[in-house]
Formats: sequence, C-alpha cells, structure tokens
Amino acid sequence: MNESVSFFGLVGRVSKTVLLLVYALFALFPLLWMIIMSLKPDSQMFTTTFIFSPTMENYGAVFLRSDYSHFFFNNLIVSVSAVLLSLVVGVPAAYALARFQFKLKEDIAFTILSFRFAPEILVILPLFLIYQKTGLYDTYFGLIWVYQLITLPLLIWILRGYFEDISPDIEAAAQLDGYSWWQVFLKVLLPLVKPGLVAAGLLCFIFAWNAFTFPLLLSDARAQTSTVVALRFLASDTVHYGQVAAAATISALPEVILALLIQKHLVRGLSFGAVKG
Amino acid sequence: MASVQLHGLTKWYGKRRGIEDVTLDIADQEFITIFGPAGAGKTTTLNLIAGIVAPNGGGIRIGGRDVDGLEPADRNVAMVFESYALYPQMTVFENMAFPLRSPKHRTSASDLDERVRRYAKVMKIDHLLERSIQALSNGQRQRTALGRALVRQPDLFLLDEPLSHLDAKLRHSMRAELKEMRSQLGTTTVYVTHDYLEAMSLGDRIAVINQGRIQQVGTPKEVYFMPASVEVAQLFGDPEINVIDARVKSKPGGLRGLQVLGENVPVGVPADVVLNGAETVKVGVRPSDIDVVETNSAANFHGLVYSFEPLGTKSVLTIDAVDGTRIRALLDGHRTFDVDRRIQFRIDPYSLVFFDVERGRFLAKSKLKGEEARDG
Repeated sequence: MNESVSFFGLVGRVSKTVLLLVYALFALFPLLWMIIMSLKPDSQMFTTTFIFSPTMENYGAVFLRSDYSHFFFNNLIVSVSAVLLSLVVGVPAAYALARFQFKLKEDIAFTILSFRFAPEILVILPLFLIYQKTGLYDTYFGLIWVYQLITLPLLIWILRGYFEDISPDIEAAAQLDGYSWWQVFLKVLLPLVKPGLVAAGLLCFIFAWNAFTFPLLLSDARAQTSTVVALRFLASDTVHYGQVAAAATISALPEVILALLIQKHLVRGLSFGAVKG
Repeated sequence: MASVQLHGLTKWYGKRRGIEDVTLDIADQEFITIFGPAGAGKTTTLNLIAGIVAPNGGGIRIGGRDVDGLEPADRNVAMVFESYALYPQMTVFENMAFPLRSPKHRTSASDLDERVRRYAKVMKIDHLLERSIQALSNGQRQRTALGRALVRQPDLFLLDEPLSHLDAKLRHSMRAELKEMRSQLGTTTVYVTHDYLEAMSLGDRIAVINQGRIQQVGTPKEVYFMPASVEVAQLFGDPEINVIDARVKSKPGGLRGLQVLGENVPVGVPADVVLNGAETVKVGVRPSDIDVVETNSAANFHGLVYSFEPLGTKSVLTIDAVDGTRIRALLDGHRTFDVDRRIQFRIDPYSLVFFDVERGRFLAKSKLKGEEARDG
C-alpha cells in the first residue's frame, strides 16, 4: 500500500469496505436463504440451517407436478405485453409533453402521474365490477390494460425528462441535414434517450412482473400470474415452504437475467440524467 | 448558391412579436450580417429562412424558388446553431457525415469519406475525427458544427452567433478565419450576431434589426457613418455615440448656425436638415471625434472630468459639460486625467450626424471640409 496514505485515509477506506460488505450481506442474505430453503426437503426445513441434504424435489413439485409453469408464462406474457404497450403509447406521449406547448399540458401530465396516487386496493372494487361486466375479467388483455396504471406513468415521467434535456436545435439540425421528422426521431432522438428508455423499461417490467393486487382480483384460472399462484403452496392443507421458495426463486429469475443483460445501459441510465453537450 | 428574398416576413409567438414585416434582398454570393441586440428577432429570422418555424405572414424565396411550406430538409440550406446542436452520441466524423447519409443528400461511401476529411482539414479538426463530441472543447465543437454545414455544399449558409460562446482570443482568430473562408467558398451567407465588430468586419452588408423590425440595411460604412436613427447609431461603436441636443440658429443670408452645449459650432447646418419649424435637432458625435485640448480658444467647450478609464492603447474619458450633459470621449492611451479636473475639449465639426428630435430619424451628416468648400 502507498505509504503516503494517512491513518485516517486508511480508516476511511477500511470502514467503507466493511460498511459495503455489511450492506451486501443484508441485501443478499434473504435471497440466499430463499435458495437454501428451496433446496431443503420438507423434513429438514425446521431442523437444519446450512447443513442439510440438498434436493431438487421442491422444484420438481412446483414445475413437473403442478401447473405453475403455465402461470409463470402467463406472467411473462402479461408483463412483457404491458411494457411493450407502455413503450408504444408512452414514448410519443413523453415526447409530446416535453416538446409541444398545448393547453392543459401540465394538467394532463399530472393526471397521468395521479394514476399512481391511489393504492391499488382502493380502486380494485369498482375495477372488479367493471371487468366482470365487460368481460375483461380473467383475460390477458384485461390485465395488460390495468397494468398500464402501473407502467405508463413511470415510463412517461422518466422519458419526459430525457426528451426535455435534448435541445430542440438538435432536431432542427437533423431536419436541415436532410432527414424527415420520423427519421430524426428514430436516428437522433431515440439513441439519445436510450439509457432512459432501458432504465424505465426495466423498472416497468419489474413493477408489472411483481404486481399482485390486480392479478389476484382481476384474474382467475386462465390469466392468473405466478406472483399470485405462488401463494397456493401456502394455502393448502400443509404449508410447503420449500415449494414456495422454489416458486419464488424461479419467479425472480427473469428480472435478474434481464437486469444483467442490460446492465451496461442501466447504470448509465440511472446515473447520467442529462444529455451533455 | 442562390439569392434570397424575404418579403414582408412576420412571426408572432402568441402575443409576443418575433419579427414584423421584414423585407430583405440578399444577392447571390453575398455575405450579409443580421445585427441587433438580444431579443431583436435575429434568430427568428434565421429559423424562418431555414423552415424551422412557420411565418404568420410574408414569404421567402431562395434561388428564385418559393420555399414557403417546404420542409427544412427540402430547402437545401445549412445552419450552424448558437448551441452548435451537434449529435452528442456520435463522433466528429459521424457528425460531419450525417448530412451525407441522409436520404436527401446520400453520397457514396468513398465520396463521403473524402469530403468529410477534406472539410475536416479546412476546419483544422482532421486529427479529432474519431473523438466523441463530449470530449471536445467549445472551439472544436464550433469547428465541427461549421464542418457539418460545409460538407454538403448547400445553396445558403445560415450562421447563428457561431462565435458567441468562444473566449475573446479565439473569437478574434475565428473571425479572421471565417473572413478568409467566405472568400474561398463564395456561398450566400446570412450571419447573425450581436457583436457590432463581427457584423462590420464580416458583412458585405449589415441588416440592423431591433424589436422585430429592420432598422437599416447598408454597407458597414453606411451603417456606421450614416445611421438611419439614433437607435442604430447607438448600437454601433463602443463607447456609445454621444447624442446631444443642439439649437439651430438662423443667421442673416439664409445660413444657419449650430449651437451645441451652449457654444456656437463653426459649421453650417446642411440643407437636408429640414426642421419643420422646430429649432432643435439631435446631434450625434462619436467619442473618437472629441479631443481634449490644452490651448485656450473661443471655440473650445468646457467641462469637468467625471471619470477616466485607461484601456491600454486608448482611454475613455467621461466629461460633464457646462450644461450638465455627459459626454464620452475616446482618447490616446498615454494621457491621464484626474477626476473633477477642469478641461477644454473640441468636437470635430465635420463628423456630426443630425437626427430629428421627435423620432430620432437620420437627417444629414455634416459635410467634410472639402465638400463644403465645393458647395460654397
């Protein structure tokens, strides 16, 4: 180590490392515990901590001997579609709210944000009745639609900031360079908001994937998602903690894989707010 | 290459006036500067020519072709923005190549490469081509923006305060470079600036614009020596021109004398100064036409030194004249004056500009010595 590092500098470094380590343990231990539980046979669930005879029995029970995979794919279909729909609707909306001056602009932006104000449990009863009447109950489309309450405000408000940071001059410059408005949007603007798009898209996916209240009450055997179904392993005659843990572990995988895949863009997206220069 | 005609161009932003009734003829290959203070409507004019904003009235012709209603991409003009408007996610090369890759100006790969490199060399940024825009200094960004405008050889260049964000030294050297470039390229150029030195040194002609209206169009000399109004006169020159109230006194024999600051000035009032019954005019005197003298003379004005600012080769002296009028003089740098000292000064009687009192419009310029003699 460099000799010029002072005593306090050294203490600072060490304590920083220790604190980060403690935090990492705090954050990761529940995940580790979940994985351990999912590998334990029921008989050893309460008698062992770290030393046990691991088994894939729980995964087998969840995936091979139950219809969990069906609900897992339900969740995948509903969440991915909800995010895609939000992107298709939200990107132009965010652009319009950032660029154009029109009447009630701020009111519209605020209304979109206010979708998230009421707790889901508060609006679920009227929604439930409406869904029953209109036939949206227990359909993919019904869930995708109601998920827009979760994903759309998030996407619009994050992307609006990104679009606002791009100088209108850049758009004008690209038009003068010989591009039509759509080409400017695709070739200049979208690459510039890409970090925000990736970050907002991932956050939307996580919120949609983890949604619980809406699928619990607005869907049933056909469209129900894995978050709701995972509870079934608790609710039957005996409590199968191992199977709940296995279901939860599998459930967390898509988010982890997605986050790892787009990590490069994600870090930029969350730390570099603005387009510089 | 093209001539440009603006005809009664008007643009309102809601209730705020952008420009009103701007009419301007720009000849082919002319370099015209649009000069005015902040918020005068300079950038609005450029944006209208480029097609970035649509006018509320009037029309634009570029190269004899009506471009009203045409998209910016279809006008074949290139613009350098005050903010440079470079594409931050691209390298210098990609920025400059961007116009040549567009559907309108698509160029073969080898031709594109050759042109980008050629103009990068002209702009002295050929060593930076692979750099990202984020890693450039302001001056380099400015060159990249100019390069991007140059590569596709447009009919018309629009430059919006391209030098205003550079530091003073760089600004001066870029001004010289631009001057050299314009003589090489010969493309019609509209150059917007709020710096009167830039406007005068670069422009074949200057269009002075203020509060959304064209005040005067003329060569740099015309605009400086025969300003259309007090306003225009005050926009050019630093320190600002002195505008002093003066009395016109009729003398026997039809001659008219002039009284400034209570003293008679030994110059006849030109015949073009029509007073319509009024006895007073406004007289403009450039600070450089005032000199402090040490010898007594009946023609001298008297005053007190109010302030003295040495500026190196020159110095600015502010004088309180006898009647309380404050006058700025631009003197040689080697002279020094103490505040409150009594001094005598002279106004060059052949450099006066006459404006009417009511609206500040240009009336006449005092004749040079020789001219007056010839007239007589």
